[in-house]
Amino acid sequence: MGTIIEASAVATAAAHQRSLTQGALELADAAARSCLERADRTAGELDLLINAGVFHDKILSEPAFASLIQEDIGANLSQPAGAGHGTFSFDVYNGACGLLTGIHLVDGMLASGTIELGMVVASDMDPEPGLSEGFSFPGAGGAVLLSRDDSRAGFTAFQFATFPEFAELFTSYVDWHDDAGHGLARQGRNTLTVEITESYADQALACAESTARELADAQGLDLVDVDLLVATASVPEFADGLATRLGVSAERVAAVPHGLAGAHTAAPAVALESAPLKAGSTTLFVSAGAGITVAAALYRA
Amino acid sequence: MPVSGGEHWMALEGGADGSGGGASYASRFIGIGASVPERRLGSAELMASTKYRTDIDLERLTGVHERRIAGESEDSYTLALGAARDALAYADCAAEDIEVLIVSSITHYVGGLRQQLDPPLSVSLKEALGARHAISFDISNACAGMMTGVFILNDMIRAGRIRRGMVVSGEYISQLGVNAAREIRTMMDDQLASLTLGDAGAAAILERAPDGAPGIEVAGFTTLAEHSRLCLAFPSKIGRGASMYSDARTLQQVGIEDTVPMLREALDQAGLEFDEIDYFIPHQTSARAIKKGMKEFSESMGGAPKHVVVTVDEFGNTSSTTHFVALWKYLTEGRFIKEDRVLLLSIASGLEVGIVIFKVDQLVGRYGHDH
Repeated sequence: MGTIIEASAVATAAAHQRSLTQGALELADAAARSCLERADRTAGELDLLINAGVFHDKILSEPAFASLIQEDIGANLSQPAGAGHGTFSFDVYNGACGLLTGIHLVDGMLASGTIELGMVVASDMDPEPGLSEGFSFPGAGGAVLLSRDDSRAGFTAFQFATFPEFAELFTSYVDWHDDAGHGLARQGRNTLTVEITESYADQALACAESTARELADAQGLDLVDVDLLVATASVPEFADGLATRLGVSAERVAAVPHGLAGAHTAAPAVALESAPLKAGSTTLFVSAGAGITVAAALYRA
Repeated sequence: MPVSGGEHWMALEGGADGSGGGASYASRFIGIGASVPERRLGSAELMASTKYRTDIDLERLTGVHERRIAGESEDSYTLALGAARDALAYADCAAEDIEVLIVSSITHYVGGLRQQLDPPLSVSLKEALGARHAISFDISNACAGMMTGVFILNDMIRAGRIRRGMVVSGEYISQLGVNAAREIRTMMDDQLASLTLGDAGAAAILERAPDGAPGIEVAGFTTLAEHSRLCLAFPSKIGRGASMYSDARTLQQVGIEDTVPMLREALDQAGLEFDEIDYFIPHQTSARAIKKGMKEFSESMGGAPKHVVVTVDEFGNTSSTTHFVALWKYLTEGRFIKEDRVLLLSIASGLEVGIVIFKVDQLVGRYGHDH
């Protein structure tokens, strides 16, 4: 008995023509709705909704972005008198590892019986195109719907690691820039800056490899038995590089469409879109992100 | 529908009937820590700094006499770190024993008013504390952040997944008041609530309770998202830090209305009446809001807790840390006895409603007040 993926879905900026008022929220909403539809579920069935996206509209710090998504998709918005069950929403921030971290939390609450159905949603979009500095992630949203199944193993193990010695390789922050010089009659502005150094990709590979091998060793998994590798680190070509290091053959890597290479928090859902989980297969999820933080999970469909 | 304890609206953990799905254990608080800046800012002084003449009597309106303000070397990170170390000392446990570390601040200011998005604050806090075995991540749930962290840890401990975890917040949030003071004109202004904010760090350590030992009796949460857009905070357009815009009156009204059935549900789950609560600690927004809420809760529930804790007068609204700053104050001042039962109530932007009911028990001894 384990936590299984009922469905996953993706929404991309390319497919949802962006207007001035739309952004990460629209992508999250679209991915969440699509995910529920694919599973033939309604929003009202959700007990838990976690947002794991980082770069969202206005860089909102309050309320949880998840509560906005919950309202938009219509998941138990208010309590009818003495009936039904509600939805609990909050955000998880763990960089590119956020989606797997959210899945880990949902897995725990499913196992304990606190919830029966949970969804993790993640999306990122440049909050101020043309003004932000260093933002290079393609606009993408993803959602993963999770429940328990008596007859399937599902997620069997998670592994997390942090490598704070590499904290400076991937940073993002908002700070005040005096006289931003964008022709506006103001004395400055708060600006988002994303800085990813050249050495981040290689270091992320090394950290991801060690964490994945720890997970495999702990679970007695021979990495050649991995049927599908879903590997993401917010930079292109990471999955192929990790597959080479782990000895997983190239055809078992979940490929990502060219325009979405380097997707940020939604990347695992994006990868799943092109490589559906087959019954009886073993999937290794590995995400690396700022920190450097690595999250890995083993999923047996 | 969740299976813990039958049909209910909230996601609930625990209960008097021993229900709760696969839960095998109970959890309890073993350390509550805080980090409160030395600098104080009185409401009169803050209102004297407004750009426009407002005639707002902030202290009379909100009950906030003063709030603490971060010093030059303090920020969200240092306040969180100080609180985490304080909690570890009271819990008498090593950072290495922390298996999950959750940072739940709204504010992520490091090195002044630079809002750090990546890496998550939990990475550097884990390193600084030496919590090398901990899984770490940040969460965000407005002023319900720490309570959400407690809910997550409680579930993990009850299920036997971990033995010990910490949730910590560092809130350097007073800058929102500084920005509000530059724009506010009337008491109906949508930035009025920003003027009540104060800075503080707080941390809570939970562990698996020995068999039969008192601890957390019920924890519950829900999000009534029809109100999700009543309060929004984001990087300010007029200066460093953030600005917050809220329909505080509506938020207060719906918060009170929507909380009544949740209180009833949580108390029912615990097999308790309202007057069996010794200390009721609500989110600290304003003294007037707390008084109004208590009146309605008591009328609806047919009883009242023995004590209602108000700290907003001396600390202001310290956002996600308010419940734990209040707990820390009462523990360090020796206000509790072992038999006391406490109810923490979170009403936060979202609209989040969270409730934790627990017995103080061994906590009093950890603060040198084992009467």
